[in-house]
Amino acid sequence: MQAVQSQKQFQYQPQKLTLSTLPWWAIILFILGLIIVYFIFTDKNYAETFQYLLAGVIATLRITLLAFPIATVIGLFVGLARLSKNIVINTIATIYIEVVRGIPLVVLILIIAFGLVPLLIDVTNKIGQWGITVFQTGGLSGFFNNLATYSIRNISMELRAIIALAIGYGAFEAEVFRAGIQSIGKGQMEAARSLGMNYFLAMRLIILPQAIRRILPPLGNDFIALLKDSSLATVLAVNELTQLTRLRRSSTFRVMEAFNVAAFLYLSMTLLLSGFVRFLERKMHIGE
Amino acid sequence: MKKSYIIPYLIILSILITACGGPSPTPAPVQTEAPPPVQTEAPAPAETEAPPAESGSKLPDLGGRTITVAVENAYPPFNMIDEATGEGVGWDYDAVREICKRLNCVPEFKQAAWDGIFPAMQAGEYDMLADGVTITAERDEIVDFSIPYVIVGQVLLVRADETASIEEIKADANRLIGTQLGTTNEIVAKEHFPPERVKSFEDFGAAVLALLSKDIDGVVIDNVSALGFIDENPDQLKIAGQLTSDEQLGFVFPPGSELREAINAALQSMIDDGTLEALNKKWGLTQ
Repeated sequence: MQAVQSQKQFQYQPQKLTLSTLPWWAIILFILGLIIVYFIFTDKNYAETFQYLLAGVIATLRITLLAFPIATVIGLFVGLARLSKNIVINTIATIYIEVVRGIPLVVLILIIAFGLVPLLIDVTNKIGQWGITVFQTGGLSGFFNNLATYSIRNISMELRAIIALAIGYGAFEAEVFRAGIQSIGKGQMEAARSLGMNYFLAMRLIILPQAIRRILPPLGNDFIALLKDSSLATVLAVNELTQLTRLRRSSTFRVMEAFNVAAFLYLSMTLLLSGFVRFLERKMHIGE
Repeated sequence: MKKSYIIPYLIILSILITACGGPSPTPAPVQTEAPPPVQTEAPAPAETEAPPAESGSKLPDLGGRTITVAVENAYPPFNMIDEATGEGVGWDYDAVREICKRLNCVPEFKQAAWDGIFPAMQAGEYDMLADGVTITAERDEIVDFSIPYVIVGQVLLVRADETASIEEIKADANRLIGTQLGTTNEIVAKEHFPPERVKSFEDFGAAVLALLSKDIDGVVIDNVSALGFIDENPDQLKIAGQLTSDEQLGFVFPPGSELREAINAALQSMIDDGTLEALNKKWGLTQ
């Protein structure tokens, strides 16, 4: 343990700062960002556009931060199912991954929002109506009455976009988890099992803690990709950043202001996130 | 053919560079003439005469040139895809073909998305846009319009089983209204209903889909395309009532287009000999 620690300390000694080791890309982007900030402070149109788009940043973050954890959980379980020897579980997981990965995300969003959700609500209402005729009194009739009158409005377009993005990214995360788990040597599992651990205990205590260091970098990439793909919710008229950008542009015809500020806001979010992911990676000592 | 893909990017790039140069680029660097919303080219009081023709009968000859016409193919009855043939059909197709017959030109229809069509027209990506476009002062600042070919109104499209009136829908905080992003319908919707209850969809197809699935309760739309959607979804939709009645529709040209005069003359000749009225009747633009 001691040896490993000292090795790492050696590794994270900061490099000597010279002109060639400076993070030039970050400096250049920072200056470009400052130019936009300057416009926002000095130009009325930029200021108004910025004000208008801020609400979209919150919606975009809300969609991303809700969809990503769901996608990760889906990914973990489907990834494990994909490795399962049980033919039924394995087949279901494989079908899910192949189907969802093969459909463009925007089509998936439209199918779920305008096809699947209305269908589910319809079925729920039908079950409720059936239930009312069967149980005319008693506690169950109230429950079925609720089902019969359950409104599609309870599942907002934003929620549908979150569900669709989570399902869509769940398939990618499943492959990330599968690859990460498979990258851990078979011997680890065999050793854990021989110590008397059952499969799930071995997975939880031995395999996943090791795999997570290999899973985290691609997971972080997907988090940033999901943030950008949340812009697809615009097809459902969800007021996230891209939708507000389009609304702004079409109502003012000021194309460049809207797009420049939107790009600035997206870049600020993704660069902060990728910085955070890098920090996490370093904290978990990934990359030795 | 390949080269035409590069040009828009070059334009965008050049706009980007100029936009980064100064904090407040004006949206309309071109077009210096005064922009009253309609019939900009007719200074004489006699509005019924074809402006460029001395006698009123002689039309310009375009010498067989090709005109690229942007259409959305998603805005019945102006332009849509015929389910049987897969070809584009509609008022716009008939009207532009008739115009080109009179002017000796060849129309080449190109499908374009509504979103972003005005910047594209401003950049001159298409020779003209035929999409039942309402003539407004704001739009006239960045593009040029033809003379209006029809005047329509905007209505509220609702499900056939709707019992509430427009006023009741307006008063009910739970009722949502849909429309298409960047249209005059969106503006009217936000004037008539609380803006936070107005949802702007990518096209009317998605808005009507949301209406049918009960996600929203009404769609603000031009009456002619409302009838188009009612045709496509019989017994499921109806018109709750009229919201406005003064939408003048015209063709759109890039600023300073040399085609506008010629097409105005052709439109005027079609108005004079009754062809336009017959066309409007055929596609249900007027009753």
